[in-house]
Amino acid sequence: MSSSSLVKRIKSLAVLTLLVAVLGVIGATAQDEIKIGVVLPTTGAEAKAGQYQKEGVELAIKQINAKGGIYVKEKKKKLPIKEVFYDDGTDQAKSSSLAERAMTSDNVTAMIGGYSTPLGEAESVMPDRHQTPWITAGAAATSIFSRGYKYTFGALSPIFQLGFTTAEFLGSLVDQGKLKKGLKVAMVVENTDHGVDYVNGIQDWIKKHPGYFEVVLNEKFEYKATDFSAVLQKIKTAKADIFLSDAHLPDYITMQRQYLQAGLHHQVISYGARGPEADARKALGAGTDYILAALWWSDKLPYPQAQKFVTDYKAAYGRPPDSWYAATAYDAMRILAQAIEQAGTLNKTKIRDVLAKTELKGSLLPGQVLKFGPTGQAGYPFLVTQNKPDNKVDIVYPKDAATGPPVAPIP
Amino acid sequence: MTAVDYLNLLISALLLAGIYAAMAVGMTVIYGVMKIVNLAHAGFLMLGAYFAYELFNRFHINPVVGAVLALPFFFLFGMGVHWLLVRWLPKSDTPTLSSLLLMFGFWQVLQNVGYLVWGTEAYSILTPLTISSLRMGQISVPKVSLVVFAAAVVSLVLLQVIMNRSWFGRSMRSVIQNPYAAQIVGVDDEKTARLSFALGTAFAGFAGGLLALLYPFTPDFGPPFLLRSFVIIVLGGLESVSGVALGALILALTETFSINVPFPWYSHGWTSYYLPASYQPAVSFVLLVVALLVLPKGIAGLLEKKWRTA
Amino acid sequence: MADGMKPSRALLGRLLKVFLPLLLLIILAVLPQAGLSANLMRLLFITAVWTIASLGWNLLGGLAGQVSFGFAVFYGLGAYTTALMINAGRSPYFALLGSAAIAVLASFLIGLPTFRLRGPYFAIATIGVGEATRVIMNNLDFSGGASGYRIIEHGTFQPVAHYYTALGAAALAVGVSSIVAGSKFGLALRAIKQDQDAAAAVGVNPYLCKLWVHAVAAALTGIAGGIYARYAAFIYPGGVFAFQTSISILLMPVIGGIGTVWGAVLGGVIFGIVEEELVVNFPNIHLLLYGSLLILIILFEPDGLVGLLRRVARRFRRRSEDSGSSNPDEVLWGRSRLEGREL
Repeated sequence: MSSSSLVKRIKSLAVLTLLVAVLGVIGATAQDEIKIGVVLPTTGAEAKAGQYQKEGVELAIKQINAKGGIYVKEKKKKLPIKEVFYDDGTDQAKSSSLAERAMTSDNVTAMIGGYSTPLGEAESVMPDRHQTPWITAGAAATSIFSRGYKYTFGALSPIFQLGFTTAEFLGSLVDQGKLKKGLKVAMVVENTDHGVDYVNGIQDWIKKHPGYFEVVLNEKFEYKATDFSAVLQKIKTAKADIFLSDAHLPDYITMQRQYLQAGLHHQVISYGARGPEADARKALGAGTDYILAALWWSDKLPYPQAQKFVTDYKAAYGRPPDSWYAATAYDAMRILAQAIEQAGTLNKTKIRDVLAKTELKGSLLPGQVLKFGPTGQAGYPFLVTQNKPDNKVDIVYPKDAATGPPVAPIP
Repeated sequence: MTAVDYLNLLISALLLAGIYAAMAVGMTVIYGVMKIVNLAHAGFLMLGAYFAYELFNRFHINPVVGAVLALPFFFLFGMGVHWLLVRWLPKSDTPTLSSLLLMFGFWQVLQNVGYLVWGTEAYSILTPLTISSLRMGQISVPKVSLVVFAAAVVSLVLLQVIMNRSWFGRSMRSVIQNPYAAQIVGVDDEKTARLSFALGTAFAGFAGGLLALLYPFTPDFGPPFLLRSFVIIVLGGLESVSGVALGALILALTETFSINVPFPWYSHGWTSYYLPASYQPAVSFVLLVVALLVLPKGIAGLLEKKWRTA
Repeated sequence: MADGMKPSRALLGRLLKVFLPLLLLIILAVLPQAGLSANLMRLLFITAVWTIASLGWNLLGGLAGQVSFGFAVFYGLGAYTTALMINAGRSPYFALLGSAAIAVLASFLIGLPTFRLRGPYFAIATIGVGEATRVIMNNLDFSGGASGYRIIEHGTFQPVAHYYTALGAAALAVGVSSIVAGSKFGLALRAIKQDQDAAAAVGVNPYLCKLWVHAVAAALTGIAGGIYARYAAFIYPGGVFAFQTSISILLMPVIGGIGTVWGAVLGGVIFGIVEEELVVNFPNIHLLLYGSLLILIILFEPDGLVGLLRRVARRFRRRSEDSGSSNPDEVLWGRSRLEGREL
């Protein structure tokens, strides 16, 4: 090898090393603002929901900053919030890496992030490691919160509970006489923590209430699959009365479309936490009527603060909030701001301690209170909604939040 | 499972095969003539889907018509892409890494363009046809699938006619068989390459438009279809157009039946075991590997051998 | 060495070839003590991990010319093996050995049938194997299935330990690659890449050679996966076994300069640092930039960045020496490593 090409090589490597060193220099952190890291997918498979969650967080930040920011007793003044946002592209490795970057390089005071369970799981390794509080408004699998982590918080009630509530609601339909006893249930869920928790919740309720339902099919399909015709054939063969699934938005749309094309019909259909999404309504029209969904929030909730949120969101983004995504993120940011104010300091450990105990009264979420449980995960009741004809959506459970009667069996 | 259930499965497998064939044909043409494994195929499918959607949404053009309109549009687009990027690739009679990577890079660019123009929404085309089915007793056939199947079959027949009856088709076939010999007999390989690439792109756009009728789509719509196209082309023979139909049929049948047909299994006595639905994608890939090992020239190659010796 | 070079220059060249990388290694090793920021350490860590995988792939794809689209299998198996072993109480370094072993085993299982295939058929088969593995892993319960698997971390997080592990493994990978490339075995591999039948005619056993280099490549990639798993503490099949991961591992040596050791390293650096900066600073168009970069490289400099540097250096040398003699590399290995070469 000639020496001058080698010299060139040396030079280029040196430049590269220098470049690396320069990139690592942290910009001076301004002391008169509170940095909040936000890592959500705005590209990739979960881009839709990630975008909505980002909008929820940003709406809260805008409203807080409009009032001057969060009052921090230690600094004796109100400090505005500065959002540090990274798009993780629905890639788990990027998600955890960017979360770590936010916590180390950008030195954020706290973080909100992790839409969808695998990304949430990946990010959840970082909060304890770097002792930065982290709230997820998009990942609800119990496994994230059962590791004894101290800095992880979840603004979504556990999915196990979601399944349990769905089954509970169906049981109430039997009690009302709308459904017969002993109906057969086919469960086909996505092959993720989400799906598994959901099935466990349903089966738990069924076990505790013998005689109500009988499970005849319990299968998983590949998350982000494109064609469900073979799976649907299995469902057809099972000859069940009730079809329960748990899927993310794109799979829900595809599966329901192929369900309809295959001419399937059941007395009750549910896709877990999906149902009233605008995209699905647009894609399938009347084909999504009467689908049940157990949700963390609905824009039909009659609370005044929920309706105010809907109005503010519409004003800010030109469309109403789709399903629950933005609402949980909005309240996650609000409870975080409240915790920072109550802590009176930007010390992350102290904020974490406050987060573990604080209650956000006037929350948009069902029950009107957001509080994190002992594992860090919140536990408020679920709503069950049902899509009605003409693009309407009704809350059908619990009774005191209901805006319309449940329709079962599906006509 | 009753006979009716089996029949239903068979029908959905056949319909699926039609879709798969349409989707894989574009890739085969490009591979056969230019020996380029076109990874940007996924990007063209995606653009075809959005093309049909835009025509439907803005001008209320029936999506099937939209898919047909995609043919000339994407033909020109393919010519452009070839002129801009592909013609610089070194010629070879086997696939090169550069061609693979070039098309991959181009696919990334297309994806990003998709995101910039259409955002992250999952678009769908909804027509009165979308969720209606033809019911014949216990058998139900979704009307959309029938339409797509018919369109796919027509396109395959059309391609076969072009290949066998036209000048251009003849030059394509000669280049597929032996590019050097083709040059000797006077085929303009540069022009043939460009037209073939354009044709392949046109069919990809057409298939994308058809797929838009069936599935919701986002800019990262391609990968599952891309991988399936690979399986089909390998099964059908990397250089045979009618082989694609065969490969598509085999893949569709395997995917549909593998999780619905019981296998006898011994576990404390003979029981029948249904492959869990979540293993379904693995079936296609194992099939791919087996096909490569056992039938390197695809099923069509096997048949070809039989014909030759006969 | 080429003719016309003074002996002292040749000695200098050789010295620099060994000395320079060692110097770089020492600098990198000392950096944490000299006060390296946590973020920079993280970036260098990621770079090191990617570099190891890149070097691994380069052995099979760059030296031997067998392009595999399924290296995520080894990365993922390495990741899961280390994760499972750490959770079972083993020391992380022992776990990394386990990762390498499992990856080697897998490489034989995959290679034995598929190396009988040539060209594109081999590449496509590797895609099939990669995806099939991902789907199967999605369904295995003991490793968590599609939900993923988590390492239970005891004690405080020691970024420096991870950093040194990665750095050490990267140094090992560079060493192994250089030795293989410079050895007789490496020569045999290059012969296979050029023309497998001709190589067989002169006494090389292509099948065996491919199997062995595949094993080494797999071992390195498996180690990379293991180091990553230990750091990230959470892995799932949709991440470590993804087709995208295989593509990334393949792209690094191609962008950096396929077939060369430093090319693989450069590719790793680009992936570790540049990609993240692209994503962070240009979130809406990073795919576009990335794809365009790839297109530009393929069209204008198929030998990757190393090829680009070489061209610049040659122009430099021609101006100073005006010898007009051709680059000995060219004579030995043809005009371009990438161009016109069979898959």
